[in-house]
Amino acid sequence: MDGMVQAPARAAGVAVGIRGLRKAFGGPAVLQGIDLDIPAGQFLAVVGRSGCGKSTLLRLIAGLEQPGGGSLTLRAGQDLLAPAAAVRLMFQEPRLLPWSSIGGNVEVGLPRGLAAAERAARARAALAEVGLAERAAEWPAVLSGGQKQRVALARALVSRPRLLALDEPLGALDALTRIGMQALVEAVWRAEGFTAVLVTHDVGEAVALADRVILLEQGRVAMDVPIDLPRPRRHGDAALAALEARILDRLLAAER
Amino acid sequence: MSGAVLAPAGLAAPAAGRLGPAWRGLVRAALPWLLPALLLLAWQAGSMAGWIAEEVLPAPSAVLAAGWELARSGELLRNIEVSTWRALTGFAIGGGLGLGFGVLTGLSRLGERLLDSSVQMLRNIPHLALIPLVILWFGIDEAAKLFLVALGSFFPVYVNTMHGVRSVDPQLVEMGRAYGMDAPTLFRRIVLPGALPSVFVGLRYGLGIMWLTLIVAETIAANSGIGYMAMHAREFMLVDVVVFSILVYALLGKLADSLARLLERLCLSWNPAYRSA
Repeated sequence: MDGMVQAPARAAGVAVGIRGLRKAFGGPAVLQGIDLDIPAGQFLAVVGRSGCGKSTLLRLIAGLEQPGGGSLTLRAGQDLLAPAAAVRLMFQEPRLLPWSSIGGNVEVGLPRGLAAAERAARARAALAEVGLAERAAEWPAVLSGGQKQRVALARALVSRPRLLALDEPLGALDALTRIGMQALVEAVWRAEGFTAVLVTHDVGEAVALADRVILLEQGRVAMDVPIDLPRPRRHGDAALAALEARILDRLLAAER
Repeated sequence: MSGAVLAPAGLAAPAAGRLGPAWRGLVRAALPWLLPALLLLAWQAGSMAGWIAEEVLPAPSAVLAAGWELARSGELLRNIEVSTWRALTGFAIGGGLGLGFGVLTGLSRLGERLLDSSVQMLRNIPHLALIPLVILWFGIDEAAKLFLVALGSFFPVYVNTMHGVRSVDPQLVEMGRAYGMDAPTLFRRIVLPGALPSVFVGLRYGLGIMWLTLIVAETIAANSGIGYMAMHAREFMLVDVVVFSILVYALLGKLADSLARLLERLCLSWNPAYRSA
């Protein structure tokens, strides 16, 4: 499996081009003209207060919503890709099917038309990536919250997406499990080279994981901060803390 | 017979605390039968002492003897066959339609607007009130019984299926869409399994109504079946046969419920609420 992963390496990600993107749900516009370029393979974190439109932006990228105006394109080299084929979304909740085995849940992420044996083998490989290879035959109900979210990560990864969209997937986990999951997401991203877009309300998590953090405010990009720090990053690092403080200041300033 | 049933339970119950796990298991298995066994014993004793008149309620031994007589003549088996066939066929028709319409109104707002209020109106008519009309339409033929059983079991299955489909977790449906499931896959992998616990509730209610309807229908208008057997016996004052027929209904009802439970446990083994016996 490792051999398969490393061959395409960094070429695996898609580049996202967003121009004047708008979206409204009846009332005032949630997104009011976003311009954003995400290079292939970048790890982008999107932070902002509740209702700033960060989840809407992610759902637009994942193709779960249609733009109300402007454009959003996914490109691999010169090819345009449809979100359904290129993007996998990890939700805030695990959203596992309680009536399917853990392996069966991971197979949900696979494209249709594969032989049963291959489906099972690929599901197993994806579970091995998140450290749950031995649990494939069990029901999801026996897992802890953190383990369920790892299964959800395996389900998102099993089809080798070119963009992984993460909608606060670690928000509900306890602090220790969360740090473990952050390390896992980072390791998988480095190994597979997909583009990652992480929506989070935790600025510390954003600067620890991302190459770049953008801050949304009232449906616009209010801040765009590159995080050029070497990996793996250590929790409590001074440079990280300084960046975190800068972004938090801006977030809190908006409140006043 | 009743003495033999009672003996192990009566002996084991007070000693449960001091006995090994094998005995304790036996006691636990026997406990639900303790009360019925005691009742039977009291009944038999009352009959033998002459406190219960033979023509009001014959002794358990007499009922059993009547049952044995019916079984030997082949009449019992024939009537059970007829009744079971009616019950299952009627239920298959009514339950099947209930499942289909329940899924339809559960999935589609248009289907609900079109059908649900009509169904709810019909549901409030006691279906047994239709018996005179049904006899006028179908006579006392098989069709009359099947129609009543189907009508009676339709509603609980319909209502619970619709409710089950409606209450499927929308987050799971959204996940399925985001992961590229088409409509049939979405139905098979998410909507149907999600609705199943509720469908089973409807199924068990429907089975109860199935027997109830059949008993009434066979008692009023039939020339075969267990209900007919009971009514026929009444004309000849054969109280023991009447009581025996009632017991057969109880047993068949219990059997249907046990089957539904077994099916439930097999289909819902993923659900912690159904995992243990």
